[in-house]
Amino acid sequence: MENQPAQLGVRIESLRIEALSAIAEASDSGGLKESRVRFLGKTGSVSLLSEGMRTLSKEERPVMGKLLNDLREAVTAALDAKESTLTAEADAAALATIDTSLPGTGAEAGSLHPLSLLVDRAVQIFRRLGFAIADGPDIETEWHCFDALNTPADHPARNEQDTFYLPDGRLLRTHTSSIQVRTMVANPPPIRIIAPGSAYRRDEVDATHLAQFTQMEGLYVAPGVSLADLKGTIEFFFLELFGPGTEIRFRPHFFPFTEPSYEIDLRTEALDGKWMELAGCGMVDPAVFEEVNAKRGDSVYDPEKVSGFAFGFGLDRLAMNLTGVSDIRMLTENDLRFLSRFTA
Amino acid sequence: MKISLTWLREYLRTDKSAAEIARILTDAGLEVGAIESTGVAIPKVVAAQVLESVQHPNADRLSVCKVDDGSGTPRQIVCGAKNYKVGDKVPLAQPGAVMPGDFKIKVGKLRGVESEGMMCSSKELGLGEGADGLLILPVGTVTGTPLIELFPSEEVFEIEITPNRPDWLGHLGVAREAAAFGCGELIGITSPPVATKENPAVASISTPDASSLYSIRRIDGVKVAPSPEWLRKRLESVGLRSINNIVDVTNFVMYEMGQPLHAFDASKIDGALTVRFAKDGEAFTALDGKEYKLSAKDAVIADTKGVQAVAGITGGIASGVSESTTSLLLESAVFEPTVIRRSGRALGISTDSSYRFERGVDAQGALASSVRATELIVEIAGGTPAPELIVAGSPSPSRIVSLRSDRVRSLLGITIDDTAIATLLAKLGLKKVEVGFEIPTWRNDLTREVDLIEEIARLHGIGNITPRFQCIPAHSSEADKAYDFARSLRRRLSGGGFHEARSGTLTGSRDQAAYALSGSASVVTVRNPMGEEHSTLRASLIPGLLEAVSRNLRHGADAIRLFEIGRVYQNKHPVESTRLGIVMTGGTSPANWRGEAERSLDLFDLKGIIARLGSRIEPITFRALTQPSLPHLPLALEILIAGKPAGILGVLSPAAAREVMVGGHQGQIAVAELDLAALQATSGNGFSKNPKKHGSLPKFPAIRRDLALLMDAATPYAVVEETVLGAKEELFSSVTPFDIFSDPEGVKVPLGKKSLGIALTFQHSERTLTTEEVTEALGRIVTKLRESAGAEIRG
Repeated sequence: MENQPAQLGVRIESLRIEALSAIAEASDSGGLKESRVRFLGKTGSVSLLSEGMRTLSKEERPVMGKLLNDLREAVTAALDAKESTLTAEADAAALATIDTSLPGTGAEAGSLHPLSLLVDRAVQIFRRLGFAIADGPDIETEWHCFDALNTPADHPARNEQDTFYLPDGRLLRTHTSSIQVRTMVANPPPIRIIAPGSAYRRDEVDATHLAQFTQMEGLYVAPGVSLADLKGTIEFFFLELFGPGTEIRFRPHFFPFTEPSYEIDLRTEALDGKWMELAGCGMVDPAVFEEVNAKRGDSVYDPEKVSGFAFGFGLDRLAMNLTGVSDIRMLTENDLRFLSRFTA
Repeated sequence: MKISLTWLREYLRTDKSAAEIARILTDAGLEVGAIESTGVAIPKVVAAQVLESVQHPNADRLSVCKVDDGSGTPRQIVCGAKNYKVGDKVPLAQPGAVMPGDFKIKVGKLRGVESEGMMCSSKELGLGEGADGLLILPVGTVTGTPLIELFPSEEVFEIEITPNRPDWLGHLGVAREAAAFGCGELIGITSPPVATKENPAVASISTPDASSLYSIRRIDGVKVAPSPEWLRKRLESVGLRSINNIVDVTNFVMYEMGQPLHAFDASKIDGALTVRFAKDGEAFTALDGKEYKLSAKDAVIADTKGVQAVAGITGGIASGVSESTTSLLLESAVFEPTVIRRSGRALGISTDSSYRFERGVDAQGALASSVRATELIVEIAGGTPAPELIVAGSPSPSRIVSLRSDRVRSLLGITIDDTAIATLLAKLGLKKVEVGFEIPTWRNDLTREVDLIEEIARLHGIGNITPRFQCIPAHSSEADKAYDFARSLRRRLSGGGFHEARSGTLTGSRDQAAYALSGSASVVTVRNPMGEEHSTLRASLIPGLLEAVSRNLRHGADAIRLFEIGRVYQNKHPVESTRLGIVMTGGTSPANWRGEAERSLDLFDLKGIIARLGSRIEPITFRALTQPSLPHLPLALEILIAGKPAGILGVLSPAAAREVMVGGHQGQIAVAELDLAALQATSGNGFSKNPKKHGSLPKFPAIRRDLALLMDAATPYAVVEETVLGAKEELFSSVTPFDIFSDPEGVKVPLGKKSLGIALTFQHSERTLTTEEVTEALGRIVTKLRESAGAEIRG
């Protein structure tokens, strides 16, 4: 057993070279795992060499022990380094082949109808001013639609030419103003409501007319409500809807149920920069309050004590302008090519 | 109504332009919709004489002309027209003229030949369509005369007049308003006063309900003839046709003072002209030759022979003015608006006259108009008027309306004192008196305090009112809650790939009954529809959605998912309710590059969507529809919310689907409709209605066990589910099917059988489960499945 320590030293050195080159040559994590077992495993080469330690003298053991320890550390370090290199390479390779220029997949998005979007914008603006939503039926009585709104019995709007009637004498409301009446009959003042809904007129349907249209009604009744409140509310609303730079013009007009009455014209870049007639409004006519009182059987709507403003505007033509379609019928044809433009 | 600016200026001294006047009138409430120009308003267009005309060397259809435009040097013009001859005088647009459409005339070459201008047709000058070819001017026209002088331009306003302001139905009334709003100074019409007298032998009113004032002026010795040029032009400028000098004067005064007049041929009238109601069935032939059967509700003007005019609407052919007329009875009256409206509608006649009487005329103006017309008739047609105007009835006395200035301030939200109010109202001719304001006779619309406040608002100008902004807390109403629920539903569905539809509520009756949950008997119809296709109020959203499917398929869509939230109607309570309708057909997702197989949407896709609309707490359930009342939906389920029927879900029958599908489209069309209020009632805005019950999350893990069952193919899954649930195992938590198949060859699964894989989960809220107890529970469930569902466990 001569030269045993020297022999062991040589074997350590040759094992180091063998191990390091095997590790260097490993091309995948499987090969590397093999090397780890082969050199560092329980029956691996390094472990086997360690067994040879037992035959060494007391003096030689620490020297050889250090050499063996260095070897174990060097191989471990090499294995770990190679492993992280291989992992990094594999990670990079795993993503390298993906063609990110391919389009995304999955179900197509749905859409909201432009009229819904518009109604909702309007609702959210009025809510910020403290208006609640009110509702009423499309099928109305003549009293709610006309009589209560100070419309003379022989007014042309009541003609069979202009208004849809049911066989029992009820009608399809010609404006959402009937909701004003219903709200006041059911509730004492103060009233501060908006009412989006459908209305109907016997118009021949063409590119700019529908027999059924969408309106938004508003009513504020309380002690001391003035034309200044009406002006402030309307201006706030349209400026919110169309942004700064929107011009609003109030043009004196006539409606049976308001006095004074105005039509509202608007000019904004969002609507072609042309004056557009958009809405009607005014101070609630005392005759309307008197009709409501008579129906209620009290006098909570005494025109000497409360006053109010009302407004109403059509949303279809507005939607037509905002969506850029030239035919209003697009709003009811449900063409997916049109609808899919309006994502929620 | 048309208002001629030239005519208006007869009563309004103003230096304002047409555009400025239009703006002021619009701000005052007389909306000027359009300003039309008649005549020629283009400089550098002159009368020119054609001196010679030869064939263009390079173009068959063109000629080369030499024309004299009065400048002394003949111009060469290339021309395409053929309707002129050498020597004719025609309009010539010289270089520099700007034609309608911003087309500038320049010297240029046409097919190689220079042209120094353009000879014009009437259309090119904006004079209307006219005959084809060049406008040939009268022989006597002096060459070089600008066309502006030959066809003076005239601006005409198209004004929308609100029904409350009949005083604007004449040029004088519009001038009055323009002056009040600072457009200039009013030039009134002054006629010498005339004596009035009652004489029932000439004019009488037997029905004060129909007329409060009736006047007749006799004029003898008139000569009926064509009207003079100025009168004809006035009438033509507002779109009236000249008839003869007498009729033209009555029309002129109507468009001037707003008062309709009628001239009877005195020789055709026997006895007094009386305002009375017609006898039922009384016949009458109007000026236009049409015959009418009158009723006792029609007011007429009659003499001893019978009806000579329908009051305020039209004269009769028998007593109208003709060329042989020499004596006139000139009528000016005030008729009751409601009577005129009713007759006009009943007889189907609308005239300039009825239009004004329906809105109400000025009583004082009626007499003044008679005087004015008499004056003009004598001037134009000669004749001698009777010294007195015969009057029946009397103009109503002038009205006083009281006004409280604090009411003005509070209703308008402005600061204004009594003096300022009186000053403003004085502009409209309202006189301050002790108890209020005296209203001019032409303002029948001013009867209440609020009417005066409106006038102050107009004169003060809304532009001068400082807007007030108020924000007031508002409780959410039931309608707010319904709106918010519908809104969140819309967003969920659109986020899930559905497009929102909106269909008309007026539809054809054909399909409504087929899908109406309420049955066909209660469908609501309209008495006066615009056609059969719009005769019925929809009873279901489904037909409208199917129409949209059909339309989109025609446009090439292959996958369609639509929903609509809208009202449906029925003839029983509740008459109107809001529903959610859904339709889907086509592929699950668009084809993509992964090459994943596309699957057709079917009933279960929609069933899943409906189920997910419910909450975990109040799940939506389904049961087979028992009543076979919906023939188009043979495969249909009733949707139950909180155990109550709230809608249907189904697949169209192949026959119904074929009507919707076009050219080659296949697959199922799944439809659903459910009541929104029922759905909303179960939703807690996302929160549980019983938070304690569902409060804590499970602390211990669940255990899943799968079973493969072999059972009769005809046994529905529901039997399995009911059996598992019915076992009431304490540890059992949920069951779901994950695999189902049968084998038509009978190899993998015997014929008539199916294999059903179900996953069962077990869980306890207070401890971790042991394998043994789960296995025991599972064993008991398997036994039940064997007994109740006839299911064997596959190996």
